[in-house]
Amino acid sequence: METSLKISNISKAYPDCLANDNINLELKSGKIYALLGENGAGKSTLVKILFGIIQPDKGKIFLNNQILKLNSPRDAKKNKISMVFQHFSLFETLSVLENLILDSSEPKKSLENKIQDIINKYNFNIDLYTPVLNLSAGQKQKVEIIRCLIKNPDVLIMDEPTSVLTEQETKELFISLKKFSKEGILIIYITHKLKEVITLCDEVAVMRKGKLISISKVSNEKIESLANKMIGQNLKIVRKKRLEEKSNDQLIKIVNLNYKSANPFEVNIKDINFEVNRGECLGIAGISGNGQSELFQMLSGEITSENNSIVFDNRPIGKLNPQERRKYLIAFSPEDRLTHASIPQMKIFENVALNNFKSSDFFKGGLINEKKIKDHSQRILTKFSVNTENVELKTQFLSGGNLQKLLIGRELITSPNLLICFNPTWGLDVGAIHYIHETLIKINDQNKSIILISTDTEELFMLSDKICAINKGRISKVFKTTDVSTEKLGLLMGGQFD
Amino acid sequence: MGSLIKIEKRNDISNSILLFSPVLAIILTLLSGAIIFYFLGFQPLEALKIFFIIPIADLYGFSELLLKATPLCIIAIGLSFCFKTNNWNIGAEGQLIFGGIVSGGVALLFYNQEGFFILPIIILTGALGGAIFALIPAILKTYFNTNEILTSLMLVYVAKLLLDYLVVGPWTNPEGFNFPETRMFSDSARMPLLFEGLRIHAGIFIALMLVALSWFIFFKTFLGFQMKVSGLSLKTARYAGYKGKKTILLVFIISGACAGLAGVGEITGPIGQLYREISPEYGFTAIIVTFLGRLNPIGIIFASLIVALTYLGAESAQIFLQVPKSIGQIFQGLILFFLLASDFLLYFKVKFLITQKKNEY
Repeated sequence: METSLKISNISKAYPDCLANDNINLELKSGKIYALLGENGAGKSTLVKILFGIIQPDKGKIFLNNQILKLNSPRDAKKNKISMVFQHFSLFETLSVLENLILDSSEPKKSLENKIQDIINKYNFNIDLYTPVLNLSAGQKQKVEIIRCLIKNPDVLIMDEPTSVLTEQETKELFISLKKFSKEGILIIYITHKLKEVITLCDEVAVMRKGKLISISKVSNEKIESLANKMIGQNLKIVRKKRLEEKSNDQLIKIVNLNYKSANPFEVNIKDINFEVNRGECLGIAGISGNGQSELFQMLSGEITSENNSIVFDNRPIGKLNPQERRKYLIAFSPEDRLTHASIPQMKIFENVALNNFKSSDFFKGGLINEKKIKDHSQRILTKFSVNTENVELKTQFLSGGNLQKLLIGRELITSPNLLICFNPTWGLDVGAIHYIHETLIKINDQNKSIILISTDTEELFMLSDKICAINKGRISKVFKTTDVSTEKLGLLMGGQFD
Repeated sequence: MGSLIKIEKRNDISNSILLFSPVLAIILTLLSGAIIFYFLGFQPLEALKIFFIIPIADLYGFSELLLKATPLCIIAIGLSFCFKTNNWNIGAEGQLIFGGIVSGGVALLFYNQEGFFILPIIILTGALGGAIFALIPAILKTYFNTNEILTSLMLVYVAKLLLDYLVVGPWTNPEGFNFPETRMFSDSARMPLLFEGLRIHAGIFIALMLVALSWFIFFKTFLGFQMKVSGLSLKTARYAGYKGKKTILLVFIISGACAGLAGVGEITGPIGQLYREISPEYGFTAIIVTFLGRLNPIGIIFASLIVALTYLGAESAQIFLQVPKSIGQIFQGLILFFLLASDFLLYFKVKFLITQKKNEY
C-alpha cells in the first residue's frame, strides 16, 4: 500500500518569530526525504507539528488524502506516524525488552516474538535482556527504532539521528533506513549535514527562516548548491594552510593525566598523554560523553590534578586554578555557553569581567574598575563583530552566534598563547560557524596553539594539524590529520585504538 | 479552545516588578489578615488598626519599632551575604545566642567595673562568638559535605541549651533568689540610650553602618562580584577561578558576626543581663526580612521595619483584642508565603486573552 502525506499551508508563529511560514509539501512512500536547514530554520517545528507535539496556527495535514487531526503524539501514533528523537527517552536501568514493552497493551509473549522478528530481519545486534545503560549510542538508537517498528509505521521521522553516532554506526543506520524505505515506509530525515543528504536521501526539501526554499531531487544537487540554498548566500569555504614544517617548539605537555570522579555520572580520565607545539592545532575527536567535559575541566583547572601532569612552557601547572592558569595566557572556551562560560542574567561587561587576565586589571585593590571593564568589552564587541554596541545588555538577549563571538573574543582579545576550546561551533548557524573557524585558523597563523575538543569530525579535519580520539576517558595515539581517514577516525572514536 | 489566562515565561526581570512583588505580598497579607480577624469575630478594619497603627502612634511606640527593627536588620544584612551565594544559613538564632553568651560572659567579668573600653570589647567578642559559631556549619559543609541547613539549624538548640545551663548554673546571679538569670551588667557594659525615657539605643548606628558597608561590598568590590557570580552559577564561578570554599567560609563568618552583634545589642541594650529568652526568635524572623528586602541592603531596612511592626502589633492585639501574641507569627508567615507566591510574577507574566485563536483544520 502506498502512503502519501500532504502538508498544506502550515504556519506557526512564536512571539518573536515565524517558525513555519505557509509550508506546502507532498511526500510519497518509497522515498527518503531530507528536511534540510540550519538551526532555527523551522524544521523541528514542522516535524513536531507532524507528530502532534505542536499544533499549527493555520493549515492542514492530509494522510492518504484524509484530513488528519493531531492534538497529541498519541493521535500521530494512532495514524501510524512514528518519530525517533535526537535525545533518547529510555530507562537506563531497565532491560531493552522492558523498555520496549512499557507502553504496549499487547501480551508480552507475542510482543517479544515480534521484537525478535524485527531484530532478525534487520540484523540488529542487540541483546533484549541487557540493561540499556550498557548499550552504545548506536544501539540505543536501534532500540528507539524498534520501538517505532513494533507499531508498523507508515511514516517514520528521524530527527538529526547521526549527531551521537560514529562513522560506522551511521553507515549501519543508513542501510537500515534504506531497507525500511524499500518496504514502503515513508521516511522524513531531518539534518543539517549536507553529506548525509547526498548519500542517503532521494529528495530534499530545504528550509530557511521558516520558509520552504526548494524541493528537488538529490541527484540534481551538489553539496555546494545545497549549502547555498540552506544559507541563502555564497560562502567561501575556509581552508587551512598546512605548513609542511611545523615547529618542534613544545608549548604544553600532558603526562599521565588521571582523574577518578566520585560522581557516577562523570567519566574517569585514564593515563592521558599528549603534547602540543607552538602554532599547532590538536584535535580531540570523540562521541559526546566519553570524558571530553572532564578533560576540558582538567585542562582549564576547574578540576586540578598532580602538578606535574600538565606542563606548560616547562612549568608544572596541574595544581593551578583557572584564574592562575590565565596568568600564563592560556584561554578556555567551554562547550556550554549558557551555564558554564557565561551567566545569561548578567550584562555583557559583567560577563567579560569573569575572565580577568592579568593584563586586564579589572579589579584593582579589590574594587570593581567598571570603566576599564566597559572599555575592554567595547573593544571585544567591535573587534569580533558582535551584533550590538551596548555593553549593558544582558547576554541572554544575544543570539547563540553573537554570544559565542563575544565569548571567544573575551578569550582571544589578550592574544593568549594557547586556546583550549570544546565544541566551539555547537548549535551555531553556518555564518557564525564560518566566522569562528576563520578566527581559529588565524590564531594558528599567529603561531599560537589550539586544543580543539570537538564532536564534529568535519570541523576537526578542517582545523587540526594533529588528531586523536577520546573514548571512555582514554586517548588514542596522536596522528597527523592528513594521515587519518574518516573511517579510521570513526574506529578510534569507537575505542578501537590498535 | 485555549484558556482565557495564559502564563508566559518572562525574558527579563524588570526592576519595577522586583519592587512590586513585595508590595503585592504586603497588600495580600493585610487582606488575609482582615479576613482572619473577621472570622475571629472582630471588626476587620478596627483590628488591623490596632495591629498596625496603634503600636506606632506615639513616640514611644516608634522608638520600640526601631528597637525591634535593629536586630532584625543587622541579622538580615549578614544573612544576605549567605543567601546571595546560595548558602542556606538557617541558624542565625543560634549565632545570636552564642554571640550573646560570649559577650555576656565578658560583660559579667566586668560586672563591678566602669570604663570606656568595656563596651567595645563586649561588642567585638560578641561578633567573634557569632562568627565562630557560624564557622561550624561552614567547615562541616566545605570539608565534610554536610547540609548546612540541617547543621546550622540544629546548632540553634545547642546554643539555647548552653545558655539555659549557664543562667541556671554557673552564671546565675548569687543574689538572685535562684531566678534563671545573671547579674545585671554595669553601666559601662550597656549600649548608650539615645533619648531619655525611650529604649532606643546606639545599636541602631551599628545597623546603619552595616547597611552602608554591605551595599559597598555588594556593588563596588571584587568580593561582591564573586558572590554574585557564585550565587547565579557555581559552575561559572569555578570556570572564572573563584575560590569556592573560601567564599563559603567568609560569608558564614560575616553572617555569624552580624547575628552575634544583634545578640550584643539585645543584651547590652534593653535587657542588661543574660536570661533564657534573650531573643524572641529574631534569628528566624530575619530570614523573612532578608527575602522581603530582596537581599538588598536598602530593601532590608524597609523589610525590618515592616516585620518589626508585626512584633509590636501582636503585643497590641494581645492587650486590646485578647488574642494570643502568636498572631504576630501568623502575619510573619503570611508575608513570607505571599512573597514567595508573588515571586512567581518575577519569572512569569500572566496574560488575559480577550479574543481567542482557534486552530483551523
